[in-house]
Amino acid sequence: MPVAASAIYFLNLRGDVLINRLYRDDVGGNMVDAFRTHIMQTKELGTCPVRQIGGCSFFYMRISNVYIVIVVSSNANVACAFKFVVEAVALFKSYFGGAFDEDAIRNNFVLIYELLDEIMDFGYPQNLSPEILKLYITQEGVRSPFSSKPTDRPVPNATLQVTGAVGWRREGLVYKKNEVFLDIVESVNLLMSSKGSVLRCDVTGKILMKCFLSGMPDLKLGLNDKIGLEKESQLKSRPTKSGKTIELDDVTFHQCVNLTRFNSEKTVSFVPPDGEFELMKYRITEGVNLPFRVLPTIKELGRTRMEVNVKIKSVFGAKMFALGVVIKIPVPKQTAKTSFQVTSGRAKYNASIDCLVWKIRKFPGQTEPTMSAEVELISTMAEKKSWTRPPIQMEFQVPMFTASGLRVRFLKVWEKSGYNTVEWVRYITKAGSYEIRLAS
Amino acid sequence: MALSGMRGLSVFISDIRNCPNKEQERLRVDKELGNIRTRFKNEKGLSPYEKKKYVWKMLYIYMLGYDVDFGHMEAVSLISAPKYPEKQVGYIVTSCLLNENHDFLRLAINTVRNDIIGRNETFQCLALTMVGNIGGREFAESLAPDVQKLIISSSCRPLVRKKAALCLLRLYRKNPDVVNVDGWADRMAQLLDERDLGVLTSSMSLLVALVSNNHEAYWSCLPKCVKILERLARNQDVPQEYTYYGIPSPWLQVKTMRALQYFPTVEDPNTRRSLFEVLQRILMGTDVVKNVNKNNASHAVLFEALALVMHLDAEKEMMSQCIALLGKFIAVREPNIRYLGLENMTRMLMVTDVHDIIKRHQAQIITSLKDPDISIRRRALDLLYGMCDVSNAKDIVEELLQYLSTADFAMREELSLKAAILAEKFAPDLSWYVDVILQLIDKAGDFVSDDIWFRVVQFVTNNEDLQPYAAAKAREYLDKPAIHETMVKVSAYLLGEYSHLLARRPGCSPKEIFSIIHEKLPTVSMSTVAILLSTYAKILMHTQPADPELQNQIWTIFNKYESCIEVEIQQRAVEYFALSRKGVALMDILAEMPKFPERQSSLIKKAEDVEVDTAEQSAIKLRAQQQQTSTALVVADQSSANGTSPVNQLGLVKVPSMSSSVDHNSTDPGMAQPNGTLTKVDPQPQPPSPSPSPDLLGDLLGPLAIEGPPVAGESEQNVVSGLEGVAAVDAAAIVPVTVQTNAVEPIGNIAERFHALCLKDSGVLYEDPYVQIGIKAEWRGHHGRLVLFLGNKNTSPLFSVQALILPPSHLKMELSLVPETIPPRAQVQCPLEVMNLRPSRDVAVLDFSYKFNTNMVNVKLRLPAVLNKFLQPITVSAEEFFPQWRSLSGPPLKLQEVVRGVRPMPLLEMANLFNSCHLIVCPGLDPNPNNLVASTTFYSESTRAMLCLTRIETDPADRTQLRMTVASGDPTLTFELKEFIKEQLVSIPTAPRPPAPAPAAPSNDPGAMLAGLL
Repeated sequence: MPVAASAIYFLNLRGDVLINRLYRDDVGGNMVDAFRTHIMQTKELGTCPVRQIGGCSFFYMRISNVYIVIVVSSNANVACAFKFVVEAVALFKSYFGGAFDEDAIRNNFVLIYELLDEIMDFGYPQNLSPEILKLYITQEGVRSPFSSKPTDRPVPNATLQVTGAVGWRREGLVYKKNEVFLDIVESVNLLMSSKGSVLRCDVTGKILMKCFLSGMPDLKLGLNDKIGLEKESQLKSRPTKSGKTIELDDVTFHQCVNLTRFNSEKTVSFVPPDGEFELMKYRITEGVNLPFRVLPTIKELGRTRMEVNVKIKSVFGAKMFALGVVIKIPVPKQTAKTSFQVTSGRAKYNASIDCLVWKIRKFPGQTEPTMSAEVELISTMAEKKSWTRPPIQMEFQVPMFTASGLRVRFLKVWEKSGYNTVEWVRYITKAGSYEIRLAS
Repeated sequence: MALSGMRGLSVFISDIRNCPNKEQERLRVDKELGNIRTRFKNEKGLSPYEKKKYVWKMLYIYMLGYDVDFGHMEAVSLISAPKYPEKQVGYIVTSCLLNENHDFLRLAINTVRNDIIGRNETFQCLALTMVGNIGGREFAESLAPDVQKLIISSSCRPLVRKKAALCLLRLYRKNPDVVNVDGWADRMAQLLDERDLGVLTSSMSLLVALVSNNHEAYWSCLPKCVKILERLARNQDVPQEYTYYGIPSPWLQVKTMRALQYFPTVEDPNTRRSLFEVLQRILMGTDVVKNVNKNNASHAVLFEALALVMHLDAEKEMMSQCIALLGKFIAVREPNIRYLGLENMTRMLMVTDVHDIIKRHQAQIITSLKDPDISIRRRALDLLYGMCDVSNAKDIVEELLQYLSTADFAMREELSLKAAILAEKFAPDLSWYVDVILQLIDKAGDFVSDDIWFRVVQFVTNNEDLQPYAAAKAREYLDKPAIHETMVKVSAYLLGEYSHLLARRPGCSPKEIFSIIHEKLPTVSMSTVAILLSTYAKILMHTQPADPELQNQIWTIFNKYESCIEVEIQQRAVEYFALSRKGVALMDILAEMPKFPERQSSLIKKAEDVEVDTAEQSAIKLRAQQQQTSTALVVADQSSANGTSPVNQLGLVKVPSMSSSVDHNSTDPGMAQPNGTLTKVDPQPQPPSPSPSPDLLGDLLGPLAIEGPPVAGESEQNVVSGLEGVAAVDAAAIVPVTVQTNAVEPIGNIAERFHALCLKDSGVLYEDPYVQIGIKAEWRGHHGRLVLFLGNKNTSPLFSVQALILPPSHLKMELSLVPETIPPRAQVQCPLEVMNLRPSRDVAVLDFSYKFNTNMVNVKLRLPAVLNKFLQPITVSAEEFFPQWRSLSGPPLKLQEVVRGVRPMPLLEMANLFNSCHLIVCPGLDPNPNNLVASTTFYSESTRAMLCLTRIETDPADRTQLRMTVASGDPTLTFELKEFIKEQLVSIPTAPRPPAPAPAAPSNDPGAMLAGLL
């Protein structure tokens, strides 16, 4: 098992140490000063998550207004370290019941110390699963008084949980109403050239579930993915239904999924943990349905004037609509004045990110709003330094649309008692890094 | 303040200050910059107030470290605003944002100029400040005359003139052309008559800069400077606001004295007298007082005065007075003053010959060695080291040894090194030296480097009388309970070598010696074990007939170490063991070490390295060197006035003695000094490479003429070199004038040198007692570049140097300018470009002449730009060769000749000869082993690159004849190449023509006569 950390520091944006824990004595206690002076106070912050200063490596990551810094002096596994940080943050969040930020850390010193002791030992990551840890570390995070009061739970039988076959689920759960929520969340990453050809495109998706089910239910999920459908057609010896099948890459499952059954029967069957969890993650690179097409034209009229025209076409169903669409069109740093004409939404110039920001709150399918802007530039001393033309960036959310075309075919629940369940399924597609290059 | 009332600005600043982190600050700044851009772009234009506000904001953002690359136009335009607040912003922001190379400055020049020549003095001040801050060529060119006018204008207030002087200073520093020397020197002198001390201080700064560049033009300022000093020293007419703790303007005093130090000397006796009076007054009048600020000021003045005294090389009384004063300083309690006192005393020691006076303070200096402040201790140590000589060495070294046991760890290494050096340099007798070093090792073994004990061993080995004493001493030290490992090493070595000399003394039998050394074995490191093993072997060798018990003991040890992990020890053990079995034969092998060759103490070298490390020391050295040149100039001046004052004598003796105490290593002051002084004053056109590198000079002149003709002793050399131009005149006056040509004999055979150079690319072409001509050549295709190194071997310059090239018709040659004079001991490089037009064997001739004293020397030298230089070796394979050979058939392209009377030589030698002529022998092409086949490429402008092939058929029975076939694509080339090879083969190149300079009648010049004798 690779070493992941010699020390971990939590810093606020000013560089003050909020909390820290040294796991090994091969780094000095003052290494965080080096981080502060050599990384935080320079412009390089945020450009490179791994830096080496004076024989030590610093892995850092910003989560809301907190920097989490891992210091190692040995040849540690970077991916493992970052995964550890991500998991630790998820753990803290589940303890704090919500946000993870400077205030939350300040309010939960004792709890964090206790957790830090538990989740890493001499630099080696340990069990980070919130379900398990909550059995031993029963100390509650300090919640804001407005959040709901935690329900009284029966004292769990810890040993059984740790040694039992189904470590992630307690026995004897009883719900009045048995419900299952299933969300398919996809984010689209796109890089499109100025001529409209796709340079890079992929979708990363995850299936999130929330279960409120009594007893020890066994669930079975069917998707319209290629493997599952082919298997099914073989078994039932009938041709597959016409329609798209999706090829999923890099599928990873939650530990509750029975992998032997997946390998033999190609079905996703599992005993779910109680509450919220991430059932699976996947990626697709082929056959992505792009929700938007962006057609920008930028004309530089002389040195001090520019004309920007952007047309956006939504290519999903006319009944659907996208929410929170933001288009950021970069302009040169020396932009002085702008004037806009938009067919929908609002646009303005944001000097601190050097972009024209066009926001459309509700964007129906099969429409094409346009924006045209006139930009006036101020003349500068540095004439030779030409504008680098960064790409246009886009943010959006499209509910009930999957860029991959993935659908849930069925979700079956079996339980000894045979109760009825209610299943809820949602789809949503978000923008990952959705970028369109400008013609140069 | 101008900021009041600008609410937007203060809000912005407080916003920035409230930002919790850098990121938010950046966001805020970017937002503000966007806002400013929008405002500046506004068609309606901005009111002056708004413009001012945004420009201030821009400056603030710029000062926070963000790039501001717009808005310069607005800033510059504010300069021309009519009102003060706007103008001020304009000037300040422009001088911050723009640098001297900015194009926008051109827009401002006119406005700035209007402000400078205008009547409003606040505007004048603003403009001058900005010009001073930015500087730059463009400002300098267009504004310098106006600024100069302001300085000397009588209608301006002192405030403006002060700023103008500083502004001009800045312009001058960046661009010395702005001050026209001829016109300005008089004005500068006038300027020094100024009453106002503020203006005077500024103009003195200007003067210091001017004088440091060119002191000659400003001679007229010298008396004025002295007057100013007088005025200040007497405290006449010094307004209250310019006195600082009762001292009249210390800044001006310091600056004036600094300026005076740039003049080589003070000639006028009256001025000199009054200057010395002033210095005297300063020296006398300075005392240590309670007030720190006053002390600082008065000591700044005082130490500058000391520097000036040293520079002027004052009379001995004054020196002793200075030292007395310094002696007083090193006795006070205030550490800063004591430090300065010690430092300046060390400096004095370097510069002047005042050892005896300083020695009086020896006790006080030794007390300083115990000061709690380490920097003072270091200074004291330096001083002690510097002032040590034979008379006080014993005391000082003893003092150092005593101090060693209590000294700071940081200092011990330096201390022990210095003690060792002093002991070696000034040892009254050698046994004392051995005592000192052994004590040193005993007390500070950790800090004694190996060099120190190596040196002891060298000394002891070389002095037989010392050997028993040293051995006995070493034996004594071994009795001590705990001794340092270095001591074990040195004792073991000494006892191994010389213990037999002690054999009769009690406790010194071989066995006892062995056992006492052997006791130390378990505690020492591997390197010492190796030495101990040698010692055992030596002891064994010296006990003949062998004592079986001792022998067994030692053999056991050797046996044990035969399997040691350290290879060195293993080898020693095995070898000693084998050797010691040989019995008496051992004697020959392990005999006593022979004497070491005398060599420079590595310690001193090391000490020099250490000294170079400390910047302080190097500064002192530099200073000493400066001083050296300046004293040399003093001498020159006075002797030209036909005065041989005692000062002059002093100067003469001093220079070499000082150089030996300051600078032990290679840079010969005699060499360095004339080079240094000459380049400055040489009226002749500078040689193409103005600084001949000492290496080259050393290389070419070194082996043959290190000393040059012994015209004069070293001290005299200094006079001559110092005199330079004057020397020639003087010499002419003494020596009867008889101009003679060719009075010198060349050294070496010119023809041989030429032939050697035909085969080599660098070497000496010609040499006589006065001059050496070296050549270095590079050949590429039909182009060549020769560099002639004309080296003057003498201590006086060579005049009327002329070099003419007489090229043959096939060569195009261009010689760059040869300087008319070659400075003493200098070397001049003259590049010579050669282009080969067509093949020919004719040779270029260099007609070289010069005049030494009154002798005219002329030589004609063949230049080694011969046919084979344009050949480039090429190897051809059999497949390439034979078709070529066949295609070139018959004359005139292929010529064959039977050559007789060939110098007999083996085939291998002939092949080498061909190779050195760039004809590459291709072995294996001809099946007959007695034949040679060679190929090459010839380059000329007419033929371009052309392949040439040669075949030589020799007769093993008669080496004096051979048949030669030459082929190429050009008939002339074939013929010329054939003839060339024939020349090379036929005769041993012995002086085909008599050396041009025929030996002439004996000259009257003593130098030449001496040279002839040599």
